[in-house]
Amino acid sequence: MNLVGVDTGGTFTDFIFRDDGEWKIYKAPSTPDNPARAVLGGLEKIAGDGGQKVVHGSTVATNALLERKGAVTALLTNRGFTDVLEIGRQARTELYNLFYRREAPLIPGELRFGVRGRLLADGREIESLDEQEIRQVARAMRSRGVESVAVVFLYSYLNPGPEQRAAEILREEGFAVSPSHEILQEFREFERTSTTAVNAYLVPRMEGYLGRLEKNLGGENLAVMQSNGGRTRSSVARREPVRTVLSGPAGGVVGAYELGKISGYRRLMTLDMGGTSTDVALVDRGLPLTTETIMGGQPLQVPIIDIHTVGAGGGSLARLDEGGALRVGPESAGADPGPICYGRGEIPTVTDANLALGRLVPELFLGGDMKLAADRIWPYLEKLSLEAGLEVEELAEGICSVANASMERALRVISVERGHDPGEFSLFVFGGAGGMHAAFLARSLNIPRVIIPPYPGIFSAIGMLLADVSRDTSRTVLIEAEELKTRAEELFAPLEKVILREMWSEGFSREELGLERSVDMRYRGQSFELSVPYSPDFVDEFHARHRQRYGYYREGRPVEVVNLRVLGWGRPEKPSWPRSEKPQENVPGEAFYASRPVVFGGRIEETRLYRREELLYGNRIPGPALILEYSSTTVVPPGVEAFVDPWHNLVLEVDR
Amino acid sequence: MSKDVNPVRLEIFHNRFRSIAEEMGVALKRTAFSPNIKERQDFSCGIFAAGGELVAQAAHIPVHLGSMPLSVASAVEATSFAPGDMVLLNDPFAGGTHLPDMTVVAPVFAENNEGPCFFVANRAHHADVGGNSPGSMSLAETIFQEGLVLPPVKIWKKGRIQEDLLGVILKNVRTPSEREGDFEAQFMANLTGIRRLKELIAEQTMEEVSYYSQALRDYSERLLRVAISRIPPGTYSFHDFLDDDGLGSGDILIDLKLTIEGEEALLDFSGSADQVQGSINAVRAITLSAVLYCFRCLLPQDIPTNDGLLRPLRVKTRPGSILDASHPAAVAGGNVETSQRIVDVVLGALSRAIPERIPAASQGTMNNLTVGGFDPRREEPFTYYETLGGGMGASREDDGEGGVHSHMTNTLNTPIEALETSYPLLVREYSFRRGSGGRGARKGGEGLVRELELLADARGSILSERRRLSPYGLQGGENGRPGKNLCKKDGNWEELPGKFNCELKKGNILRVETPGGGGYGTPED
Repeated sequence: MNLVGVDTGGTFTDFIFRDDGEWKIYKAPSTPDNPARAVLGGLEKIAGDGGQKVVHGSTVATNALLERKGAVTALLTNRGFTDVLEIGRQARTELYNLFYRREAPLIPGELRFGVRGRLLADGREIESLDEQEIRQVARAMRSRGVESVAVVFLYSYLNPGPEQRAAEILREEGFAVSPSHEILQEFREFERTSTTAVNAYLVPRMEGYLGRLEKNLGGENLAVMQSNGGRTRSSVARREPVRTVLSGPAGGVVGAYELGKISGYRRLMTLDMGGTSTDVALVDRGLPLTTETIMGGQPLQVPIIDIHTVGAGGGSLARLDEGGALRVGPESAGADPGPICYGRGEIPTVTDANLALGRLVPELFLGGDMKLAADRIWPYLEKLSLEAGLEVEELAEGICSVANASMERALRVISVERGHDPGEFSLFVFGGAGGMHAAFLARSLNIPRVIIPPYPGIFSAIGMLLADVSRDTSRTVLIEAEELKTRAEELFAPLEKVILREMWSEGFSREELGLERSVDMRYRGQSFELSVPYSPDFVDEFHARHRQRYGYYREGRPVEVVNLRVLGWGRPEKPSWPRSEKPQENVPGEAFYASRPVVFGGRIEETRLYRREELLYGNRIPGPALILEYSSTTVVPPGVEAFVDPWHNLVLEVDR
Repeated sequence: MSKDVNPVRLEIFHNRFRSIAEEMGVALKRTAFSPNIKERQDFSCGIFAAGGELVAQAAHIPVHLGSMPLSVASAVEATSFAPGDMVLLNDPFAGGTHLPDMTVVAPVFAENNEGPCFFVANRAHHADVGGNSPGSMSLAETIFQEGLVLPPVKIWKKGRIQEDLLGVILKNVRTPSEREGDFEAQFMANLTGIRRLKELIAEQTMEEVSYYSQALRDYSERLLRVAISRIPPGTYSFHDFLDDDGLGSGDILIDLKLTIEGEEALLDFSGSADQVQGSINAVRAITLSAVLYCFRCLLPQDIPTNDGLLRPLRVKTRPGSILDASHPAAVAGGNVETSQRIVDVVLGALSRAIPERIPAASQGTMNNLTVGGFDPRREEPFTYYETLGGGMGASREDDGEGGVHSHMTNTLNTPIEALETSYPLLVREYSFRRGSGGRGARKGGEGLVRELELLADARGSILSERRRLSPYGLQGGENGRPGKNLCKKDGNWEELPGKFNCELKKGNILRVETPGGGGYGTPED
């Protein structure tokens, strides 16, 4: 069996697999109208002897959510509360916008139904479910063309009874049903409703898409990347598609974590700089998860890799505003018209600035597949530089610096704001454009080194092959920490049972899997929780983490446990990562490409250009230098030295 | 622009200052204990120049915009700061706004500098600061009934908290342990700000940081001047009324003559009513905040909010009036209610000049609801305070949003599952109030309905506006429906006034229906 990672992107669908101890890559144009066509076509193209096992990063759920192309979905909830989904938290996301409109809910008012069946805050029933009423609602739903239903009752995490019964009836009536207690057993009704609604909205689309892939590959040969960084079998993704909405980006972070583990870098900040935006995440000896993701305006409370996004990328537009500040982004040139050097754009972008500085090599862009129109950029840059009162080079470096400032702010949010010192981390860079900015970012944040893995352009697909299989579950308990000390076994047992059963279906027995307990805790009276691994010292650990993150702790204050979590993981078959044994001091002659002038800090420096694929383990290259590869360019500024480590990572050592 | 300001450095410093203010906010929000701070985000953080001018404020709550600098100025005037000091204040007549808003100011000292080179400050709405009613937001006749008044006092001296002073404060409030936790969060937020500013200074030099803190204020000023110069010059008048002061005042006039002259605007409020007995008097700081908010809305979302925005604006108020109240007026509602009406009046005047850029009136109230008493389940006192969203006004391009906070506030609601778990209350309904938005070519946003059943005896109070006089429509659009406060006792619904305190029994039901937004343009049909 061949193990293949398949990552569907907007433009290309990437395939990666190991063959004869080497990574093999195939790229096919994506087919957005029916993404399965590119996937199945590509798999056929690369098929060798034996079957294929696929780990898939799917954008079907992501796009259906962002482009509002999900199913006709209804909501069944307690009467009096059908608008909770739309009201949300009643705040606006833009403070100074007199014309603010929130994102429309996935389920419009006429498809939200309120029925009897109310519980109290202790789980007791004060109004019982009326089955006749549910059947009537089912008829109304059918007449309005509803395909899928989210069922969310208050306090279903304490007592799923009424929700379960309502879901049963709707299933009998033939609907795809997502009851909230099957998706998320946690309190805060709006966030739970929103999460469940997203799931219901996506179920029919994912059923269709994954069903088609399964038919061709066989269900047991298809695994899907979840947003929590683990893979799972296709049938789970069909039932709980809300867990796959960040499938692709999660692949990159997991790849960084796994390759970091292999090559000895356990504390990383990842940087994935694309055309319109940049994603950053902090990996501190484990995958960073959050339950506060918002996507397409919809809060998702399931654990998702904690990725922070800023509107700065290669295509970000530069302009001088009316107050005289140089602004870069968040507006982007996008694919059309694209940067000036792509041939049609007329507003300078970060990519154009890099080209102007000599940091992009026009004839080698995408391995020479795409020619850059370098001459086009000058008139536009000159015009802007006159407006700004700067030299052209100064402006071009300024555009990069402002873009860097946005990325730096994002990196500060995930590190400094959370009590981490960036100096203890490495900057792990993948995606296309990051290599041109990484060394500068590292310098301004005192990050000692930058790591660029092999094949940074398709690193998400590599990450999918390296991911563990994992399943997680949680439940709100809201008890004093003291109480958990005596009831831990009793309270964790049902969650672990669920996970053991799930992992058994994934093919792992009790002995083969890891189980991790964690607890979301807070001082009684607070509203935000910190997640802490469960151990006999979990309360001390909470104080310590509170102190790290917020600068203080209060030993005397009562501590509350809000949620219990259990994560199960197992190691599936993974490709091994090639490692070179003997370091080579001499840089092979073939690696040298040319020598060119590049601007650094206002000075033109003669800079040596190298081809990355010819570099060997042990090679050291002092800056200034550019290291070129198919989908990426790495800038090694003066004072920085690059070397190739045994796993063929390119490591930049940044002076401090 | 000044010759030496580098457009690149300007943008980079904008990012850095903003990061620092935002980080202070994260520290405060995530560790605070008051629902007002942690869930509802009723707080602000800012960085101030040595003279007390606002350099950067994170986008938190607009009502604090113009008033934080006055707090800092008042703290600077009252004390001489040493490293490690922090000043606490809430006196509305010495830089505060209303008593629940507690402001903590701390100096930043750089090496080789004698005096402070910057200040950091944060303000948070505490759930109770004493006074005649739980929540400290009820009807009162003088400030003495509204709670504990703190002039600028040193709560930290040379890095040590002043336990005796803190003890006095905690003895004067209903929920001392929660207060203590909130103060702790506020101190930590300031320490975070100080640390980050010092890092910035160490990295960039004092001279450079101070230079660009000035350049950023000039920058915001320039942007506002450009925006004002695009408004046709002239004098535009507008007035509107508050329903009443809760003590029988009747209509209270807010009157504005707005004069646009080149790049500057003069706002003359001196024709507004005298201050009143009830607690909806606004101190001048609030009037400034409301004006600043309105003009800030004419600018792009992501420019720095700072003292430069005040420079092209001249605001004239009459001491002793409803918009510039004098001691010892009661002011709890000035911050939350009157501020909204000032916005209605400023936007109303602007709509005469630039009708295409100004929406109809939004709900114009924050619907302050407080229920406090003793929780028999937990055997401890409780205070539940919440504000409710309503309809936003429609505009030329679009309908108004519904069920959302508008203008001077932006606080979150309390989740039902959190509310019922923490307080002896049962939520019976939380929904849009259909049909409340004003009709028009574009429809005003819908108000909300929140219905609560008491599971224990308690004292309730509501401080709300737009119960009698509607949010206005524009250009032929109809007014939004005014709000309603109702209570069901012994099986009968009874309509209550816009502002009241009352005793409630277990089983009573409170129902608040919030106003809809005004419509825009003549309705078709």
